[in-house]
Formats: sequence, C-alpha cells, structure tokens
Amino acid sequence: MSQSGLKRLLLVLALLVPFAGCETMLATKPVKKERPTVNVPAALRQSNWRGPEGQGSCVHASMISLLRWQYRLKTADHWRQTYGDGEQPEDLAAKFDQEGIRYAYVTNGDVRFLEWACRTRRGCGITVMGGAHMVALVHLDDKWAAILDNNSVEKFIWVPRETLIAEWKASYGWAVTPIYAPAAPLPQ
Amino acid sequence: MNKLLLSVLCLLAVFAAAMPCLADTVNGVLAEERVVNLPQDQSKWYVSVVGNATDPRYNEIVGWFDTNASLKKLKNQVHFCPVTNETAVYQARYASNVKGLPTVRMQQADGTVVYEAAGKSLPMTAAGLNGALAGAVSTAQGIRPILPWRRDMEHRCPGPRPNPQPNPVPQPDPEPQPIDDNGPPNVDPDVPVEPPLWALALVCIAGVLVGMGGGYGKQFYAKLNPPVK
Repeated sequence: MSQSGLKRLLLVLALLVPFAGCETMLATKPVKKERPTVNVPAALRQSNWRGPEGQGSCVHASMISLLRWQYRLKTADHWRQTYGDGEQPEDLAAKFDQEGIRYAYVTNGDVRFLEWACRTRRGCGITVMGGAHMVALVHLDDKWAAILDNNSVEKFIWVPRETLIAEWKASYGWAVTPIYAPAAPLPQ
Repeated sequence: MNKLLLSVLCLLAVFAAAMPCLADTVNGVLAEERVVNLPQDQSKWYVSVVGNATDPRYNEIVGWFDTNASLKKLKNQVHFCPVTNETAVYQARYASNVKGLPTVRMQQADGTVVYEAAGKSLPMTAAGLNGALAGAVSTAQGIRPILPWRRDMEHRCPGPRPNPQPNPVPQPDPEPQPIDDNGPPNVDPDVPVEPPLWALALVCIAGVLVGMGGGYGKQFYAKLNPPVK
C-alpha cells in the first residue's frame, strides 16, 4: 500500500474511533427506578377522618390509599362510605372476608412481610406510635423506608430502615395489605 | 421398661421434628393466620390498556382480553391494568406519557416499555394485537420467532367469530387476576394467515393444465389455419 493510501486508512480509522462502543453505551443505559416503590399519586391518598364514634380511621385510610394504588377504585370508595373509626387486626380481617377482598397480614413483627409487600410494589399498612396509629409503608430498601401518613398526606416521610422497623416492632408489629395488581411503573 | 422408654423417646423425637414446621412462616405470615400463600410476583410484567370509558374502541380492546384465548391467557400472566382517562391514576401516571388514546402498553417489571401503540397504530384485531405483543416479548427476550411452517396448523384459518360488543358504561373494579408468581409472559406466537398447501398444489396443477391446453390449442389452430406459403 502506498504511503498516501495508508494515511487515508488511518484517517478513516481515526474517524471511526469516537463512534466505537456507542451501541453498548445505549444498551447498558441504567433504568431509573421509581422512588418510593409504591409511588401513590397525591390524588389517590386518603386522609384520616373521624368515624361515627369520633375515633380516627387511620387503618381504613391506609387501606383505601393502597386499594386505590391497586386500582380497586370502586372498592376503595365503598370502603370509605361503609367503614370508619379505630380497628383491630381480627376485626379488619373479618371485614375483608365479608367484602370478599384478598388480603394478607401479620401481627408478629416479621420484617419479611414488609419486604415482600414493597418488593411486589403493593405496600402495606403498618402500626406505629405504640400501636395507636397506622400509616402506609411505601418503600423499604437496604437503608431507607418511606411512609405515607394519613394525617399528613402531602408528602412521603423518609426514615432509616432500622428506625422504621424498631418503631413498628414496638407497636405490636401489625402489617396488612390488599392483594391485587399494583399500578404499573412509570415508563422507562 | 426399656422398650417403653424407647417408645417415649421416639415419640418426643417426632414431636421435636414437627414443631419447627408448625411455627414456620412464609414471608412472615404465620401458618395459623389467614393468608399464607403470598404471591412472589415481583417479576411479573404489566399490560396497561388506557382509554376513554365511553370510547367503543377502548372497550373493544379491553374486551379482547376476555374473548381472545391468547390475550386472555396473557392477561392472567401479567399485571393487567385497564385505566380510564377520568381517573386520578390516569392523570398522575399516564396523561403525560401516552401518545394518544386508546393506548396499549406492555412493560417489564422495572418499567421498561417493550410495546406501546396508540390510536390508529393499534392493530385492528385481537389476533393482530396478540401478534404484536408476542413479537415485542420475543424481541425483549432476544428470542427468534417460531418459523412459519412449525407453527400450530389448526389456528391458521380462524373461522368467523362474533365481535365483542362495546360497552360504554364504566366498568366496576376489574375481576382480580389469579395469584401466581409468573415472570415474563409466555405470549402465543402470532400466526399469519397463509394459503394452505392444498391450495398451492391446486394452483400449480391448474397452471400446468392451462399451459398444456395452450400448447394443444396452438397446434390445433396451426392445423386449421396452415401458413400461406
């Protein structure tokens, strides 16, 4: 090959170098994960209300937010119209049974239930404040947890994972959730 | 006495083995409590059908997932999300990212969109939509489609079927899907409508006959009309 031909070849190769690996870069583009996992839109969040007996309805409010997230809109509306006041695990289970709602719950403070609920993007209601209140757990990873408090639904509250778990375990360790298809993730 | 002692010890050993089983939990749910079969469905894909509840086209497409066998099967393998545009869910999570209505979107568990079509870009038939979704799943998983001659023969020429009637009335909450742990869906492959083999053979035979007939005709014509020399 002549010297000018070799130069031309080198020039072409030099021009190609910047484009090398572009496809790989596109293919390995990281997927931006939604945080919190259970990203309940503001319009779906149910605030706490006073029931017929004058008690707070935090358990019902948490369940309604989760039912809406799982697109059981009519069921959530019905629940809001029908139930209220404070709630106990067994009584709530009986109401779910009566309404034919699929659900799962624990009262033993087993963290695996919380991990399952967030891993499957359903979320769950968890007891806090020594069992006097229930909020919705909407995120749980290795370091952080996020809750949606029905007394202040404007924003998610982020706390260290261990802090949240300690609070929950000190509050009877009750967690409960409906089991339907969660809202689809935002497109990536 | 020794035998009695041995029997008691054996009985105790059996109880000791059984006790941990009774106390065992599945994802924290005690076996004694209500639900123990928690779905491990975090890898399930999502299919959203988004549209106006009063739009017959939207209702027709949602209906396909109950009337078309392949789409019905798919529906039971994914998180199926029929979403109407008057809901807060639509406003918060779809309004800003759909190209039109109705929209059919298939996503992997992490939200990656593997198929999306809206409005006139949507296939006309249920079989067409199933084919599009099947193709998208194959592409996403890097699977080559099944070669045409290996596809299921009995599905090639589907007979006439009644069209699902559009229902403009907003539906109650959708029927809950069966609880299972599926990951990526296994969509029936799309089946193109191809002429059957016997039809191709018939065309070939007809061609040969026409050719032979033409040849004989020419000879016959030459006999009747000898060239003027």
